[in-house]
Amino acid sequence: MSTDQRDGGRAGEVQGPTVPRMLVGIQLHRFREAAAVTPDQAAYEIRASRSKISRMENGLVRFKERDVTDLLTLYGITDEQTRSTLVALTRQANTPGWWSKYGDIMADWFEAYLGLETAASVIRTFELQFVHGLFQTEDYARAVTMLGHTSAPADEIERRVSLRLNRQDLLNGPDPPQVWTVIDEGALRRPVGGSAVMRAQLDHLVEVSRLRHVTIQVVPFSRGGHAAAGGSFTVLRFGEPEVPDVVYIEQLTSALYLDKHEDVDHYMEVMNHLSTEALTPADSARFVAGIIRDF
Amino acid sequence: MTDASSSHDAPDPAGTGIDTTVPHSARIWNYWLGGKDNYAVDREAGDQYKEIFPGIAVVARTSRAFLTRAVRYLAGQAGIRQFLDIGTGLPTANNTHEVAQSVAPESRIVYVDNDPLVLAHARALLTSSPAGACDYLDANIRNPADILETAASLLDFKQPIALMLMGIMGHFTDDEAYPIVSALQAGLPSGSYFALYDGANTNEAFNQAQEGYNASGAVPYHLRSPEQFNRLFAGLDLIAPGVVPIVRWRPDPDTEQAEIYSYGGVGRKP
Repeated sequence: MSTDQRDGGRAGEVQGPTVPRMLVGIQLHRFREAAAVTPDQAAYEIRASRSKISRMENGLVRFKERDVTDLLTLYGITDEQTRSTLVALTRQANTPGWWSKYGDIMADWFEAYLGLETAASVIRTFELQFVHGLFQTEDYARAVTMLGHTSAPADEIERRVSLRLNRQDLLNGPDPPQVWTVIDEGALRRPVGGSAVMRAQLDHLVEVSRLRHVTIQVVPFSRGGHAAAGGSFTVLRFGEPEVPDVVYIEQLTSALYLDKHEDVDHYMEVMNHLSTEALTPADSARFVAGIIRDF
Repeated sequence: MTDASSSHDAPDPAGTGIDTTVPHSARIWNYWLGGKDNYAVDREAGDQYKEIFPGIAVVARTSRAFLTRAVRYLAGQAGIRQFLDIGTGLPTANNTHEVAQSVAPESRIVYVDNDPLVLAHARALLTSSPAGACDYLDANIRNPADILETAASLLDFKQPIALMLMGIMGHFTDDEAYPIVSALQAGLPSGSYFALYDGANTNEAFNQAQEGYNASGAVPYHLRSPEQFNRLFAGLDLIAPGVVPIVRWRPDPDTEQAEIYSYGGVGRKP
């Protein structure tokens, strides 16, 4: 994703550009395959690289309207209705999301995640290290941020914390996604920010778990080794039937976005194992209450 | 066609009751309904089935639509506020509690299934409106006494209850199905309702596809004759139009005018 995405002037709509972008990408991919055009040929047509075509088709970049219309012509799509629908979607796809004002402190790969999170209908996460960003208290978020940005000036830390808290507006919006988290006991016991911060954080976790659209399940140490040997990950699902699930895996300096059936199947299988292995939501709330008493 | 019978003897290396090496009826059903909670093995089995019997997508859609109309009738005209939905399946559009609570927000739903994947999804995604309640019961329909006993701690058995067996009795032979259904009906208070649909054996392609499916390693499902359906409602006062092809049960303007593949109905316990 290129940084020029943030130069749009209009205010972002609530849903953000991510799903329109994915829909344009999916259509472009279908049309290209149907026309038997290779990625290299398509790239040549719009004076871009082969990887740009792949990022466009995966909905990871902003589109130039002219690139889209040139590609449609190359793919032999002449139907005016189809073309204008896709152009309209392209315009929607270029509308910046609410997070665009944080562009200076945010890596592009994370910006893409925020777009997905905002557009998702179901967010399933497995957390091994930390409480999920959507559920963090301000103090906990600050402690986590300082762990990751030891040399950042104080005002940058505060902007990062403010970005994280703004993300949480998602949970209180009119049509919130279902957020279904499986969290390892270790993430609840690790004293991020000290005992007082942890107690408040765990209280908050129990509080949000009462929301109808939030489910929190704990995998206790006693359940032994679990299916996610690799670490934390997120699976995002979208309401649109044609948009596939996306697996998001954060690394230190980048992130992986997987949406191929075989990858998603595998991660979904692991997520399902974790969900059936973990305590039920009701037992998890009692379990967290027990940990609070230990702090 | 949710998986209500035990599959615990299936290979399951992780020990969590999820087996992705054989097709799974709740996941295939999810695939036919256009859902995303299915694996390659389910999509393959679902596609094979569809090749022999393309009508299966219609069966899936019209079954959901029947459930929706039946629950709307039960919560509306029949005034029912308690639902015992056995064989929950994976969440989809118009789940029982959503339909019931859209009519009567205080409705209380007990979802019963014995499949760990279905239960985990139900607990996370089939959540109640603040005015009502949803509970989740891990139980096997082969043991109706067990279900009734636990349900009694969650529902008021002095008030009428709607028992729902939507697309699950096909997993049982007649010898198994009739005693289960009558034991469940017997445990409910007078004035309770019973709603059921299942696939019918009146279409040759449907019969053939089902035979192939039953040989695939998935939990088998048996199609029934209209007469066999009537027996499942014995002793109940049938709500008009009776036990009929589901597309003809109290259709509304949106009801798809489809071929007849499934039978169902609603009865009231006198």
